[in-house]
Amino acid sequence: MRATLLRYGSVFAVIAILLLGVVAYQLRATADDELPRVQLNANNIGPRQIEDLTSKSVPRDYALAWQTMEQALNQNQPGLLDGYFTGFAKQDLTQRVNSQIKSGLHTRYTDRGHQLDALFYSPAGDAMELRDHAQVDIQVLDGDKVIYDQPVTAEYMVLMTPGADRWLVRQLQAVNGTKP
Amino acid sequence: MRTLRTVAFIFLAAGSLAASEIHPPAQATAGKAITIQTSGSGDATFYLIGPAIASKSKVQAGSDISVDSDELQQAGRYIAILCASDGCTSADFFVTPAAANRLSFLVHPSRVPVGTANGISAVAFVHDNFQNLVLKPEPVTFSIMPNNEKPVSATRPSQNGVAWVRLTSARKEGPTKLGASIGHADEIRVVEQVAADACNLRIKADREKKDFEIETDPVHDCAGNPVPDGTVVSFTESDSAGKTTVDVPIKRGIAKIDMPIDGRAKITVASGVVTGNELEVSGQ
Amino acid sequence: MKYMLPIVIGIITLVLIIISWVQSGGVARHEMAAANTPEQAVRLMLSEIQAHNFDAAYSRLADRDDVDKETFVREFSGSYGSLLTYASLQSFDVWGLHTSDQEATFRASLHYSTAVGQLDDVRDLKVQKVDNAWKVFWPVNNATKLPPQVIATNYLRWDVVNRGAGDEWGVQDVDSPQVRILSMNPIQRPDGLTLVGEVVNEDSVPAFINIGATLLDSHGNEIAQESSFDKIDHTLLPKQVSPYRIDFPDMRMERVKSVRMDAKALLVSASADPVIEVTQQKLETDPLGKKVLSGDLIDEGGQVVDIPHVIASYYDANGKVIWVSDGYVDQPLLPQVPVPFAVDVPPDIAKDVHSYHVTVNYYNRTS
Repeated sequence: MRATLLRYGSVFAVIAILLLGVVAYQLRATADDELPRVQLNANNIGPRQIEDLTSKSVPRDYALAWQTMEQALNQNQPGLLDGYFTGFAKQDLTQRVNSQIKSGLHTRYTDRGHQLDALFYSPAGDAMELRDHAQVDIQVLDGDKVIYDQPVTAEYMVLMTPGADRWLVRQLQAVNGTKP
Repeated sequence: MRTLRTVAFIFLAAGSLAASEIHPPAQATAGKAITIQTSGSGDATFYLIGPAIASKSKVQAGSDISVDSDELQQAGRYIAILCASDGCTSADFFVTPAAANRLSFLVHPSRVPVGTANGISAVAFVHDNFQNLVLKPEPVTFSIMPNNEKPVSATRPSQNGVAWVRLTSARKEGPTKLGASIGHADEIRVVEQVAADACNLRIKADREKKDFEIETDPVHDCAGNPVPDGTVVSFTESDSAGKTTVDVPIKRGIAKIDMPIDGRAKITVASGVVTGNELEVSGQ
Repeated sequence: MKYMLPIVIGIITLVLIIISWVQSGGVARHEMAAANTPEQAVRLMLSEIQAHNFDAAYSRLADRDDVDKETFVREFSGSYGSLLTYASLQSFDVWGLHTSDQEATFRASLHYSTAVGQLDDVRDLKVQKVDNAWKVFWPVNNATKLPPQVIATNYLRWDVVNRGAGDEWGVQDVDSPQVRILSMNPIQRPDGLTLVGEVVNEDSVPAFINIGATLLDSHGNEIAQESSFDKIDHTLLPKQVSPYRIDFPDMRMERVKSVRMDAKALLVSASADPVIEVTQQKLETDPLGKKVLSGDLIDEGGQVVDIPHVIASYYDANGKVIWVSDGYVDQPLLPQVPVPFAVDVPPDIAKDVHSYHVTVNYYNRTS
């Protein structure tokens, strides 16, 4: 009787461990796929007033841009930049990814959120300039070896332009940054 | 002797245990080479991570590392990392934009009705030669060069890399050039000023055998500019048999149509949201 | 015994063939073959047309000497690139109007399945008894023929050169045309909510436009999104006005707090030719008792219009758009040849109509 109980108990334990492992992996994957938190402050925007729909689209598309950039830099897949980047930003990031591939490096971001201040919205509505106070943890890996691991508070000047169905990041330029 | 050997051994050990360090300049300018000082000894790997670069090279710890100008073209945050036998050390530095020498010049719209107050907007984004946004205030000169008239210029300082201006379109139709310049950059755009809505739309009717030839006077806007050919004018004729409508594009300044009319008829004309006069005619 | 199986299989096959013949209407066809009644004659002729047996259908006519066979065939199969060339006769209804010993009149409602949906055509057909068989007396087509000629066309044409893919950002491009929605009126119908209104091309260049609408509830959430689809004249020349209609099936107005309209305009190449005149417009009741706006279309240019599409807007006494209806014409517009059209008007709307305006859109085969 005891032997039977022991046998069944160990089988259940193995199954439970396996299940938990799968769930934990999925949760981890979900955490990775979560959109970065982005808050937009458009109180000082001008000369054009921001439309209600635009005030929702811009932070959403900016968050998606960061998410795809982080994935591209981690997985060394420049194609991931096609969705939310254009112009100089896409050019530079693509160059960065190709450079990482050549050197065997990749960069891992843990995104802790962005505070976007809208500075300029062109009269025709075809360009928006924002300042992003970003908090990210950056890890640089050479193969599997972590060669750099720092939390960073960085300030970016961002230029976004409207695409067919979304806002795209055209320029992403770090201007200041201090470690916390 | 033994003491001397021990002291020498201690010094050697201390030397080999001294951590490598890396000292980039606090700030660099885009497109200019820099030298990064390092300390320590032995073989090491140098990494440079930037907005458009992630390079790796073998160096000697303790030597100065040269970074080429073409590795520092993008403004932004760079990380210099030195990994030696004792571990990795890093330092951040910023590359600032070079001198303002390029403009992204956006002008809207490409066609504007004449006499539209603040109808044209001109926005200039200031860049350096490497397409970095130049954030410090720079004077941008905007100019407007109408046909057969003297050009007019005004300078606006850029803020956060942007300068902009609003202009009123002229009262005469035709192309107008708008310019923006800074440094060696000089961008020109053309805005077509088109006639506004038709004004005083009038029609007249002439009997042409069994039909009536209905035609407009030369169609102009309120400033006297001819409305462009191809603009649609709608004619509507109502008589006892029913209603007849036809949308006719203006050709050589006028729109005309032949209409068969039975009995008494009323003819009206419109172009867009502008309506013209009414005619009452009698057919056969 | 050894032949039992093939015999059984043969009998079963024969039975199955007979069942399928009966199910396909073979009995009915056999009964109608002799056209013993006027209704049988009409049904038989239309069945032959439905099956594309035009020779057999033509042989059912009483006045073959007066009716040209090619013209008869074209009336059902279409010509040039008209809508009928992309259509097939799906079904028909026949009912009698008048019957005597020697002649009868029947009304046939033909239902075509086309690339743009169902198309209905109603015809009154006379049937005569000829040599003890009923035959259909087909009306001679007196439509004006288009004589060969040269028609000079010098209306304006616009072509567009856009910026290239390699052009830098900031390099000037041609702007999209400026269009403006002039009005938007919601109307609750039994089968849903409909938005009607008008849009104008305010620019000096042609515009390809489409109007979309999003319904929002009291919390600002989107509850439905639709577009005008083909109930709009998509290509508008400068200062041209088009009606539009957007249908939201099964929607109640009480659920809707606000509507977000979206007019999308693209700069396209276009020609000001052909100019289409709409004459003899009047609101009347058709032979089936439906309220229709009817009239004639005349192509004033030299280009054949393959598929004309009529869109009509109706206004009340205050000039407000109260309905928009549309219909495709199954015949091509030949230059200077009038072609009749009729579009339905709901009877409850028709009583409030004070005036109306007809716009003609069209589709041509690309050469």
